[in-house]
Amino acid sequence: MKESQLRLLMFLQDLLSLKKEMQDFQVVEQYEQMGFALDKKERIEESIREVTEQLDPVLYHRFLRIAEKYDRPMAPVKNGVCYGCFVSAPTGSKLVTEHQDVIEFCNHCGRILYRID
Amino acid sequence: MELKELFNNTNVNLNLKATDKDAVLLELINLLKLDEKAKDMLFKMLKKRENLGSTGIGKGFAIPHCRSLVVDKLNVAFGRHCEGLDFKSIDGKPANFFFLIVAPPIEISNYYLPVLGKVAQFCKIQDIGAKLKEIKEIPEFLKLLEDIPN
Repeated sequence: MKESQLRLLMFLQDLLSLKKEMQDFQVVEQYEQMGFALDKKERIEESIREVTEQLDPVLYHRFLRIAEKYDRPMAPVKNGVCYGCFVSAPTGSKLVTEHQDVIEFCNHCGRILYRID
Repeated sequence: MELKELFNNTNVNLNLKATDKDAVLLELINLLKLDEKAKDMLFKMLKKRENLGSTGIGKGFAIPHCRSLVVDKLNVAFGRHCEGLDFKSIDGKPANFFFLIVAPPIEISNYYLPVLGKVAQFCKIQDIGAKLKEIKEIPEFLKLLEDIPN
């Protein structure tokens, strides 16, 4: 089954956040002190590549542009509020991907919106 | 944040039935209140984290953990597998006790690493594995968390 583009983006952001965490020397040291072995960090890059290959190129480039501006290119929507910029009624612009997925962007901050329901 | 505040009757399972690593992750995820799509995404992310190095820290304990957009606050679960199963732990021995920890990428309270640290400390308490094996009901597990020094 084809993966939803929004879910792929969410997965990509989680992987990027894991990559960022693993680049922080102090965090890695903490992990090691707790007893976790982190011996295959290059696998994050492989996973990021796997996900980006499945993304619509237009959507991926838009994601990258937003990521240049914000640490978190994606934001949850709760009760009609974008939790990226905290401005209400984020009935923003939409992009229909080549997979026919509709991706919504916040009108105010431009972040990609998703709902946790 | 104390560990006892995070666990309750709904996020503890003392009789995991899984027979392999993937199945145990799924059983733990099922203890969280998430929809099917979110569970699926969380499973993938936990697997990616396990690919960096097993979260089986030895002596029968494993602490699968990750950050994920599918949650909006820190979520935890505990599972016990009486027979033990292969979790590719660093000591090569089977794992019996599993603490699942999932947090959103950014939390205002920033509990993720401190909670992970507390759980890791708990797992290193002498004879804690033997005590966890003896437990019969969830309230005994909660009492054990309450009794440990923080």
